[in-house]
Amino acid sequence: MAALRAACVAAVVIGGAAASTALAAQPPQPQDEFRPVGNSPAPEQIPAAPLLIGAYVVVLGGLFAYVVGLSRRLGAVRQDVERLESEIKRRGR
Amino acid sequence: MPKWFTPAAVLCGLMFVISPLLIARAPDESSMGMVYKIYYYHMPSAWMFLLAPLVCGVSSAMFLVRGRPGDDRRAWAAAELTVLFGALTLITGPLWARRAWGTWWVWDARLTSSLVGWMIGWAYLILRRYGGPGSDKLAAGVALFGAVNVPFIFISVNYWRTIHPPTTVVPRLPVEMGLPLWFCVFAFLLLFMLLMTMRLRLEETRARLDDLYVALDE
Repeated sequence: MAALRAACVAAVVIGGAAASTALAAQPPQPQDEFRPVGNSPAPEQIPAAPLLIGAYVVVLGGLFAYVVGLSRRLGAVRQDVERLESEIKRRGR
Repeated sequence: MPKWFTPAAVLCGLMFVISPLLIARAPDESSMGMVYKIYYYHMPSAWMFLLAPLVCGVSSAMFLVRGRPGDDRRAWAAAELTVLFGALTLITGPLWARRAWGTWWVWDARLTSSLVGWMIGWAYLILRRYGGPGSDKLAAGVALFGAVNVPFIFISVNYWRTIHPPTTVVPRLPVEMGLPLWFCVFAFLLLFMLLMTMRLRLEETRARLDDLYVALDE
């Protein structure tokens, strides 16, 4: 009986601890809407500028790199097509 | 390239030059501050990241049914754009989250399903590159899963407990925030169309090259 009581107490303590840990681990609530800053300045715990600039550099740089790469691939294949077309013409003669 | 390509490319370039000016004039967000402005490129990238697997999936389904090479080429082009815009979304998102949430990443439904969608795009490209003969139909099957994942990504923020803002933030944006956002969305949509056109042209030229090699051997 004493062992059963000890087990119940242990279960309650462990369950409570697990529940409080789980609650503490929950992420903050999502925002339902975005609001302009107005008169109150936003808190700035982590510097925003490097993250913001980094994001725009990644997007614009990534898109630019992809366009350049795609143009080069297209140019290379077109050159091959022209080379083969002239080869076929030459053999046809 | 089609006749509309050059004017559209010029317009798209102008929109990408103007967009930072509009974004700079937009107000900061009350709780996130300046870092919120990542949203103006993050969300259009994310929408193109949803559009690309849909195009890939529908084209793949058409390819499986009709067997036309044009559908397969469109699917391949869209798969590459899935990976491109997925990468942009999955990089800009954590940069925003670091400041807004205090962490780079959380394994919630939106972020996890987006990562899965991006990996499905990679799986398609890897299959096409290394799959050998018959990989076109195998990859088309993979693309169907990628397309089915898209609605899951979209609604995940509304149906599951998540830290990510829900889809309802977009229609609720005030004009001074919404205008730059929609400008960027149209710029990204135009860019998507241009990139699809270029990538399709690459596949068509490759097909022409294959035909020429066959003709040369005969």
